Amino acid sequence: MEINTSLIINQIIFGLALGAVYILMACGLTIIFGLLDVVNFAHGTFYMLGAFATYIIVSLFGNFWLGLAFAIIVVGLIGWITESYLVKPLYGKDPLYPLMLTFGFSVAVIDLMRAIFGTVGKIVPLPPIFSGSLIWGEIFIPKYRLFIILLTIAILILLWLFFKKTNLGMIIRAATRDSLMVRALGIDVPRIWTFGFSLGVGLAGLAGGVNSTIQSALPDMGVEMTIECFVVVVIGGLGSLGGAILGGLIVGQVVSFVSLLASDWSNVAIFITMFVILLVRTRGLFGEAGRL
Amino acid sequence: MKKAINYKPNINSSSKPRSLVIWITLLIFLIGPFIISPPLMTEIMIFGLFALGFNILLGHTGILSFGHAAYFGLGCYGCGMAIRYLGYSIWGALLVSLVVGILLAAIVGLLAIQKRGVYFAMISMAVAQMFYFMALSPFKKWTGGEDGLKFIPKLSLTFPFYVDLQNPFSIYYFVYIVVSFSIICIWRILNSPFGRLLQAIRENEQRTIASGYNVTRAKFISLIFSGLFSSLAGGLFFIYLGYGPLSSLYWLTSGTVLLMTILGGMHTFIGPIVGASIFLYSQNKLSWVLTYWELVVGILFVCLILIFPEGIVGTIKNKYLSRKITVEEINEMKDL
Repeated sequence: MEINTSLIINQIIFGLALGAVYILMACGLTIIFGLLDVVNFAHGTFYMLGAFATYIIVSLFGNFWLGLAFAIIVVGLIGWITESYLVKPLYGKDPLYPLMLTFGFSVAVIDLMRAIFGTVGKIVPLPPIFSGSLIWGEIFIPKYRLFIILLTIAILILLWLFFKKTNLGMIIRAATRDSLMVRALGIDVPRIWTFGFSLGVGLAGLAGGVNSTIQSALPDMGVEMTIECFVVVVIGGLGSLGGAILGGLIVGQVVSFVSLLASDWSNVAIFITMFVILLVRTRGLFGEAGRL
Repeated sequence: MKKAINYKPNINSSSKPRSLVIWITLLIFLIGPFIISPPLMTEIMIFGLFALGFNILLGHTGILSFGHAAYFGLGCYGCGMAIRYLGYSIWGALLVSLVVGILLAAIVGLLAIQKRGVYFAMISMAVAQMFYFMALSPFKKWTGGEDGLKFIPKLSLTFPFYVDLQNPFSIYYFVYIVVSFSIICIWRILNSPFGRLLQAIRENEQRTIASGYNVTRAKFISLIFSGLFSSLAGGLFFIYLGYGPLSSLYWLTSGTVLLMTILGGMHTFIGPIVGASIFLYSQNKLSWVLTYWELVVGILFVCLILIFPEGIVGTIKNKYLSRKITVEEINEMKDL
């Protein structure tokens, strides 16, 4: 196989699209961790639920956009219920309990989905606008991958505007810094936590919905995603949104290039990247020194 | 000060170690195969040891490792590869799994032991997943990939005397000897001053640091012990099964051992063994009734953490066996 510029560019774009999904996932995880101090072990499970929500809506109504919207809404609602009834009772106890709880939750939900949908992958048909690629000499850019990249950029800008410009966003940022103080100012912080959890989980649902046309929806698809998402936030530094974005970009490129050069190692490579970065900079690239 | 305070607030830190519970357990294991089928009992002992090793870290030091399947699986593969490719005897192969476990624990410890709890959990899970993928594809030639490590010669013990390990009873008692020796070792470790230091770290890390202990080193050693016994359990699992399954490295194995530990009671010594016994027994007897075993397991997990985070043994101990503090005693403590 000859390695030339156009191949490298193709691979970079492939990696960017892959990284975009990681970024959506990791941002959700980071928002939840920042607000609630909970590492959501069920994050990949919500990703899987998002893929299934899209699949159901697309097969019922045939509208992909409606499917994506439903992925966010349905998964966000499930997240809302989960937080209110399962995670909330654990605040103030051992910080490891929510971790174990979300783990148990994901084991149960995965098996439940297996019971309902079986173990045959469900693939969402690609909407006709996105079929085909933009061809430019030897460079092929699949339209759908381009869409994923643009969608992620749009979501990131929306998130940024939300956090910087709106009152609710400001409250969330304040509660991430010092929830006690925010509570002292008369704001219902547990409500904010619930909202933050469903926002983060909704992002995971969106990631699942977006990826459901590439990767077939399977009950097991989430677990590997959870762990890859952990790698992304560990590389970027836990608790930093910028770190989540950078980590997502790095992991996307690593997977893309290693699967080209040594496909056997593509699953292992991201972990090795993580170790190298941890060795060089123990708190991750953008991690705050005091927090971990 | 009139006299030393002999009261400690936590449930399992009764001032005198009660070793009776160990001897009862060993006795039950000794007669166990005559009551329950030997293969199931062997599995219970192996997973009991795995959960005990895991609990050194979780229950006694307060560190959650989400990737203990790495130690178990690496012990399993280490033992198997030593037998298959290097022709080691069984004792030698078990030694290999010990060494592998110590090495892995040292590497993970150097990378992550200083991190906060959740961070350590995430990194350890990533490590386990990495080994899973390594065994799955890049090293397929040696590990057998999805099929697991197969084509093992018939196992038999040659030292100190010849035992054919094809008979379920002989394999049971071989595992019994190793496991009971390990249980006693863990008991000694946890009741040594070092074990008390680990408890102090769990209860209040800041205060332990302020008291002048090297907390990082203690955590590191605790991780080493935990990894060592977990990978020994993995080696025994290989000898029991006669092949190395890939599932021993799977993330669900880490979850299973966590569930066993919490089910039994993570703040007790014997809890993990009780949890492993109940888990494996019900899995064995009920899984044909319950098609969706993992669903039940997940729900059980959630309920346990919400309602009985102390587990079976812990709840019983709290309710009936813990020393109730009287008002006089509290006043007496105030005086001191």
